[in-house]
Amino acid sequence: MDVRTRRLLFLAAPGLAFLFVFLFLPLVSVVVYSFWRTASYEMIAEWNVDNYVTLLTEGTYLTFLWRSLVMATVVTAVSVVYAWPVAYLIAKHGGRYKLILVLLTAAPFLTGEILRITALQQILGPIGVINMGLTSFGIAPVEALMYSSTATGIGLSYLWMPFMVLAVYLSLLNFDFELMEVAKVNGARPLRAFIEIAWPLNRAGTAIGCVLVFIPTLGSSVTSQFLGGPNGALYGNILAHQFGATGTWALGSAMGVVLFGLSALLIALVVRVVGDFRRSGLTMSGR
Amino acid sequence: MTEAVLRLEGVTKRFGTVVAADSVDIEIGREFFSLLGPSGSGKTTMLRIIAGLEVPDLGNVRIEGRDVTRQPPYRRGVGMVFQDFLLFPHKTVAENIVFPLRMQGVPPAGRAEALGWITDLVHLKGLEGRFPHQLSGGQKQRVALARGLVSRPKLLLLDEPLANLDRELRKEMEVEIRRFQLELKIPFVYVTHNQEEALTMSDRMAIMRDGRILQVGGKLDLYHHPDLAFVAGFLGAPNVFEGKVTGLADGLAIIDWQGYPLQARAKGGLAVGQRAVCFVKSEKIELFAGTGQGRVDGVLRDAIFKGQYADYLVHLAGAREVTVSGPPRAELFAPGRPVSLSWSAEDGDAFPAGG
Repeated sequence: MDVRTRRLLFLAAPGLAFLFVFLFLPLVSVVVYSFWRTASYEMIAEWNVDNYVTLLTEGTYLTFLWRSLVMATVVTAVSVVYAWPVAYLIAKHGGRYKLILVLLTAAPFLTGEILRITALQQILGPIGVINMGLTSFGIAPVEALMYSSTATGIGLSYLWMPFMVLAVYLSLLNFDFELMEVAKVNGARPLRAFIEIAWPLNRAGTAIGCVLVFIPTLGSSVTSQFLGGPNGALYGNILAHQFGATGTWALGSAMGVVLFGLSALLIALVVRVVGDFRRSGLTMSGR
Repeated sequence: MTEAVLRLEGVTKRFGTVVAADSVDIEIGREFFSLLGPSGSGKTTMLRIIAGLEVPDLGNVRIEGRDVTRQPPYRRGVGMVFQDFLLFPHKTVAENIVFPLRMQGVPPAGRAEALGWITDLVHLKGLEGRFPHQLSGGQKQRVALARGLVSRPKLLLLDEPLANLDRELRKEMEVEIRRFQLELKIPFVYVTHNQEEALTMSDRMAIMRDGRILQVGGKLDLYHHPDLAFVAGFLGAPNVFEGKVTGLADGLAIIDWQGYPLQARAKGGLAVGQRAVCFVKSEKIELFAGTGQGRVDGVLRDAIFKGQYADYLVHLAGAREVTVSGPPRAELFAPGRPVSLSWSAEDGDAFPAGG
């Protein structure tokens, strides 16, 4: 090994060690467990694929997986639609307050996750601000907001929105807003200018935001546990269940591997879609 | 000038306390018109008002007679070329060029035809499939010009389009841009702080300072007959002499400078006894070897050979140094030798000092 290689290895060592201990080892153990089986709260090292067979054949697991996929898709879409104007406004008109404004969107993170969800309960629940307000005017409360999938969706959107805002905002920091003027002088109405210029040039950033929102939403459990009500369980709740009450670690591991596989698939898909760097404008050399 | 395509009437625009446009009136026909002024004089704001990117506080903008003051940019049918090119980085050369046509709803066949025509005109054949980052600076500027011209706009606005190009390329593009204007007969409004560009290409030009138009006219007229001290001092490479007016006759003034009676055209209501500044352009001064009666004496400090001509730096009385441009003459490439200068009275312009 020459000096250069040794120096590179030395510099990379802390990072590699971190990844090895906290990513690679747990991942490998989860994959290994998923091919074992559990009996009376004990892991038994017998290689088999029963867990995966169970996941594919027993309808409940697929139903919950499907439900989580729909939820994650809707939450991601809502985040894109909601976060874009916020990020655009801050990036374009935030001036020297830009950074503060963006950090403000993440202000709820100053408290814990449970606290934030509980706060949402105070707003959406049967004795929450909205429904109490409505009933005090003699109007019927909105059922959909109380312990429902809608409530879970609102909660998840609220929890992960800051990541989308941040991703789009960071992308827009590199965006040349003058290009929008160029488009308008050349005959593009504002919406057309957005579709032709702002959107494609920030596609990569938006895609990163989508990944950051989609993946944690897909595996989430706490939000639906608090806001979803008795019939609002998601894939994450069932997964958590395997490691808790039922103690079926092997099946839970298999569920985790499925989640990991889907996430990896999504990232690969995103890279494919926005991977053409010439079309992403990341080279930023129109000038 | 034929009929006015663009007319600005009392256009005023303030940004806080800064007056970027101060009741500007201009009429521009099918010509090459330059707005020339130092940076911060409000030229770019004027262009943005014409394009519709800024709305003036007061006054009107008329294009082909129609009041467009409050119309958004996408309804004005104006082309624009920017200093930083501002090509769309995610679109190819062809897509950049036909963008205005697509926005106007021109069908693909029409777009392809226009693309062929314009790439021919601006010499971009063969580069249609490239992306902006694969182009040189000069090619980018050609794409920007093509995009500005492809829809045959009512007028083309150019905001210092050559500022980012090197000197050689700039000279080449000056000629090209002028050619496009002559061929298409579209009015070009060209903003620059570079007088060489303005003088090379323009039919007429306006000198701007602090949001105001100081003087408008044909380029030769402006160059040779400045109405204001600022214009006289801005165009060309003038030498400045300041002294007291000792006599006035037939529109000419005699100014006492270091004991020499200098002659110049009297402008701006010059009166005897007043202090005056006198501008003489470097190429209008004649340089003689040795001293001479009725000429200003000096010592040649340096002669700078430029090829077709030479700049002679002459040290005069009162630690004054002037530049004289003229044909390179071997006997004058001798620093330290005594020389003398003179110019005809019509080649100097005298204005009241401090005006």
